[in-house]
Amino acid sequence: MGIKKLESTKKMREIMLEYYLQGRVTEFNGWVTSGAPVEFLYAMDIYPVYPENHSALIGASKLGPEFSKYSEERGFSQDLCSYARCDIGSVFAGTSPVGGLPKPSFLFACNNICNTVVKWYEVLSRIFKVPLFVLDIPFIRKEMKERYINYVESQLYDFISFLERIKGEKFDERRFREVLKLSVKGVEKYRDVLYSGRNKPSPLTCFDAFLNMAPIVCLRGTDKPVEFYEYMKDELKGRVKTGISAVDNERIRLLWDNIPVWYRLRWFAEFFAERNACMVADTYTNAWAGLLEIDKRDPIRSLAETYIKIYLNIGIDSMVDSINKLIDLYDVDGVVIHSNRSCKPYSFGQYEIQRLLDVPSVIIEADMTDSRSFSEAQIQNRLDAFIEQLEMVR
Amino acid sequence: MEKIGYFCTFTPKEIIYAGGFLPVRMLANNQPISLANTHLQSYCCSQVRGCLERLLSGEIEVYGVVFTRSCDSLMRLADIWEKNSKMKVYNIEFPTKINSKSKKYLINEFWEFKNVIESWSGRDITLTSLLKSIELYEEIESLLRKLFELRPDYEMVLKAETEAPERIIRMLRGMSREGKFNSGKQGKKVLVTGSICVVPEIMNIIESSGFLIVDDLCTGTRFFTSDIIREDAPLNSQLNSLDEAVEYLAEKYLLKTPCPTKHYDNDRRFNYVLNRAKDVDAVIFLLMKFCEPYFFDYPQLRDELEKMGKRTLLIEIEHPVSVEQIRTRIEAFAETL
Repeated sequence: MGIKKLESTKKMREIMLEYYLQGRVTEFNGWVTSGAPVEFLYAMDIYPVYPENHSALIGASKLGPEFSKYSEERGFSQDLCSYARCDIGSVFAGTSPVGGLPKPSFLFACNNICNTVVKWYEVLSRIFKVPLFVLDIPFIRKEMKERYINYVESQLYDFISFLERIKGEKFDERRFREVLKLSVKGVEKYRDVLYSGRNKPSPLTCFDAFLNMAPIVCLRGTDKPVEFYEYMKDELKGRVKTGISAVDNERIRLLWDNIPVWYRLRWFAEFFAERNACMVADTYTNAWAGLLEIDKRDPIRSLAETYIKIYLNIGIDSMVDSINKLIDLYDVDGVVIHSNRSCKPYSFGQYEIQRLLDVPSVIIEADMTDSRSFSEAQIQNRLDAFIEQLEMVR
Repeated sequence: MEKIGYFCTFTPKEIIYAGGFLPVRMLANNQPISLANTHLQSYCCSQVRGCLERLLSGEIEVYGVVFTRSCDSLMRLADIWEKNSKMKVYNIEFPTKINSKSKKYLINEFWEFKNVIESWSGRDITLTSLLKSIELYEEIESLLRKLFELRPDYEMVLKAETEAPERIIRMLRGMSREGKFNSGKQGKKVLVTGSICVVPEIMNIIESSGFLIVDDLCTGTRFFTSDIIREDAPLNSQLNSLDEAVEYLAEKYLLKTPCPTKHYDNDRRFNYVLNRAKDVDAVIFLLMKFCEPYFFDYPQLRDELEKMGKRTLLIEIEHPVSVEQIRTRIEAFAETL
């Protein structure tokens, strides 16, 4: 009983190959963090480079330990985020599975996903000797405060000036609004794709969602994700119509929490498929699905608000609410919680979250790209016991 | 006097004290973790896990605690704390990015914090009470600076972080009068840079290995130093309203000696450390295992220091610390110089 690959994944690979190739011939680029408002870059025709995506790619190619080693040899601790270690390592190595990233013209770090990226990008700015813009986002532990939006909004105007100065071109608000429109549209299409997991049985697994998330992260604000996710949605619709499920004889529905274990995507996918369990959704890709609500009257202010409220920048109670909503939305029987050594803001608090979920859950400890932190036997035992427990309550 | 716990030296303790509470710093102890294991993963630093352990074992008796978003671990600890205690919990969102823009933002943050402390204590913070508090802490800071120029005294800092300011001032003045600020020791100078160290034996080992310590620790110099320039005149002749006093505090904390958890223009943190290292013979990095802000800085900072001809040593702290192992490494390091 194997896993059923989606045709769309091939198309995604073509799109991303084209994206990476374009990076080689583009002279001016900015390295950006995954939670940063990339819309400003696309509005100024600046090619964005995504080190996090690149590290995920290194992880998925099972080369995490190899590229980490290049940075560890230079003194970067093995306890640091493995995305950062792989990225910095590939800079030192001068290569990667896609031939390395193009040198940055500037760096743009937004700490709405973690404070790690600020330190990581400081390291990069010293290596490349290029300007770094930090977009500082206050953490929303409880309620949103007006002054936080003011603070972020004023920095966004600073960022526009920064881009104008560095690129030597004026910011075009009309073009910005077009990019925003495409961004919102792309997110909507992506959401449709993810929501197809609500079907019973589900035509996709979260592993399909992980594999195919790069366009919404890297190309958000262009027409690429709009077209691609439309295509993917059609393929999934076709599956539903013809009765093809992602997992044969789907008996258990699960939700994944945290960033995937990139070097074991296939292993997990097969593991669950063999047990007729379908991992129908996850908190990671769904974080992008709810991303954009733009008020046309004041797009910059509403963009500020949107990027403050993202999933990793909220308190534990709000995270629990979000997960319980997903549990309900996708009608899952249980949650598999990945305690990810490389992501503290995503992982610390998981024990409290676990106590507040509406369905049973299990915690497994691993790392998103560093396979040295993966204990197969232990994880397999935990998951088997968990699935057995879920079978009993059915 | 009821106590308010705080974790980070970027917390305006002056506001806490002006509100009628005694600010006490929350620090781990050098003990193994057991109760906190079911709340926080093993890849979290000893300071965060250790404080939670102390909370769960009932050791911490305070009315409330204040967090700042200094790092991702403290950011999450605030909620974990709240779910496992009946204490008041508040988080000040101290900016990560420190520049001219941050001031306006921080003033608002401190102003709300003042309101929160008032609501906890049920009494108003007045201009008089705030200025008195600022002056008390400034006297402590100035005495500690003098003390540290001659001889770092970590137990004194620990006291200053956890005991009543009037008492601390009496002690420090007394020590100064009795000439106890000077150790008269000779030795090679070593810059000790890092975050939190709650194991004073480590500092004793460094000294007994023949070093004179130049300090850059968060439980040392960085508790009491800021680049703010203050005129000699009493504060009440300079600050005429609560607004002005809060603004003064915001400025003081923005100009606080730079910390790796913040992002500064022109690499202020690196330049600060490199400058402190100018006249020393060696540098010891005393870092908490799993502390990302420091470990991201470490390789490049070490390289810069080595370019200046400084020998460096990295010591990772995880509680419970094995002091003997550290002694061997420091002694071996001292011999190579």
